[in-house]
Amino acid sequence: MIKEFKQLFRKKVLVVPLFVFPIVMIVFFGYGMGGSVNNVNLLIVNNDMGVSSNALVQELGTFIPKNSDNKMFEITYTKDMSQSEAEDKINSAEYKAVLIIPVDYSDRLAKNEKPEVTLLTDQSDTTSTGIIVETMNKILAKSQPGTILLTVPDLYGSLKYIDFLTPAVIALTVFFGTVMSTGYAVAGEREDGTIVRILMTPVSRGAVIFGKTIHQLILQLARAVILILAAILIFGVTMNGSWLLVALILVIFTFGAVGMGIAISAKSEDMTSFQQISMLFTLPSMFATGVFFPLDSIPDWMRWIAYLIPLTYANDAMRIVMIKGQGINAIAGDLIILLIYSIIIFSVAIRIFRREV
Amino acid sequence: METIIEVKGLTKVFKTRRTELIAVDHISFEIYKGEIFGMIGPNGAGKSTTFAMMTTLVKPTGGSIMVSGLDVEKEDEKIRQKIGVVPQQHSLYPDLTARENLELMGNLYDVPKKLMDERIDYYLKLVNLKTHSDRFTGGFSGGMKQRLSVICAIIHDPEIIFWDEPTTGLDPQTRQAIWKLAMKFNEEGKTLIFTTHYMEEADKLCNRVAIMNAGKLVALDTPENLKKTSNSTSLEEVFIHLTGEEIRD
Repeated sequence: MIKEFKQLFRKKVLVVPLFVFPIVMIVFFGYGMGGSVNNVNLLIVNNDMGVSSNALVQELGTFIPKNSDNKMFEITYTKDMSQSEAEDKINSAEYKAVLIIPVDYSDRLAKNEKPEVTLLTDQSDTTSTGIIVETMNKILAKSQPGTILLTVPDLYGSLKYIDFLTPAVIALTVFFGTVMSTGYAVAGEREDGTIVRILMTPVSRGAVIFGKTIHQLILQLARAVILILAAILIFGVTMNGSWLLVALILVIFTFGAVGMGIAISAKSEDMTSFQQISMLFTLPSMFATGVFFPLDSIPDWMRWIAYLIPLTYANDAMRIVMIKGQGINAIAGDLIILLIYSIIIFSVAIRIFRREV
Repeated sequence: METIIEVKGLTKVFKTRRTELIAVDHISFEIYKGEIFGMIGPNGAGKSTTFAMMTTLVKPTGGSIMVSGLDVEKEDEKIRQKIGVVPQQHSLYPDLTARENLELMGNLYDVPKKLMDERIDYYLKLVNLKTHSDRFTGGFSGGMKQRLSVICAIIHDPEIIFWDEPTTGLDPQTRQAIWKLAMKFNEEGKTLIFTTHYMEEADKLCNRVAIMNAGKLVALDTPENLKKTSNSTSLEEVFIHLTGEEIRD
């Protein structure tokens, strides 16, 4: 038993996933699944000139959810905006929600009639949408009990949590699969000496990396197609966007993940070291990037951690395409970040591979 | 005699942040075409590093190596076409069959398909693996793996064969078979360079033997001359005389 503990604590890389990761996981899931969101970008299109709408707007602006110190909404105001223009703001992810207050809001309240306000939300994030709609209903009921009707149009069809989950799980699966299988290939071939034999042939190191990359691209795209089809057939998951754009996101992302697999494995002396070091990179991606919960539900400092991890951008782009059905312009920012990450990590990987293997 | 490998002032220094290890220290020698050349030395003598530099796997820190008239620094890809390397580890893909392992190597060396198939059949028969050609190599014994590993290295018909510890861990029968194979390749005109810890092997097989110690070349001659010069009856005595009795880590 003493020998077992000695061996364990001498492998420091193994201690981190064993003790630190569960704590980090509890913190992230605790906040992420905590049932509240904050700093939601809300656009209020106030077409009403009366005083009643001002009271509602003030109520929204100061609302702080239970168990939170932050305001729920970051509000921007405008007027004279059509619903389709407002939908564009949601599609482009400029705002998480848009509340449209009609021109006759105050008048109807004064006449004891029921005014109808429209709430558009980014329904690709089903969790946040549920919380925003519930909160909005509460605030409206508190403001004018039983008098205001809230309409929430389905922007992307009827969506469930699985629709939110699937695009990110595909990105996560591709990331995990690529890093692990590329790494195993390099670390394994290094351990059994086969890579040395290959490198003693006229084939260049660049060609070896190229071969492994192309293999992973084909394999991961095939996995993604199978996963999406299975999700559609089994759970009726929504696929509103272009398959080609999904492929483009995954190709760029896989490219970087191959680089990460090569870099880690080239630095690892054997398979065990590779497994331990790779966990340091792959596990945080799983629970810190909004695969299972929206980033709006975690505190700012956690969100900044998420922004440092490439999977965050792959998740976002996948959801924009698969759920929102948007085109390349809507994911251009995510793609540029993923491309920069992939180029950097791949270049580093080639350097490490050339030096270490 | 025609020189096929020329090593001049070869040096390799491995640097880490805190340490600097001189693995090979300004050594020079020549290997002649068609000879069997042995490299022996205690652990850490620098023979494996020298071997790795001659096979283009490791870049020298200083000095030069010309292999078949080509510079290892500038023409490593051309050199790799002319040499065959049998690594110390068997280095076979366990989930590929013997034939598939050979085909992979043939393809990497750009051997034309028809010629490759002919050679695969010939060599599998030569090393008594013909009946196992479609078996996964993961289930092979050590001896079978070593025989296959050898023919993987020569499927492109190289003029020079580098062989790292060819008989380590093998039973006497397989060792005999490997020696016969080495002699056969040599009779066909190939130059053989190998490292070994077995003095008997070096004595029996090699035309000339280089003895390395602490990164330096301490002797290079025929086994007979080495024994004569040191007044010894065996190569092992010569080895101990030149490299000392101290155990190396």
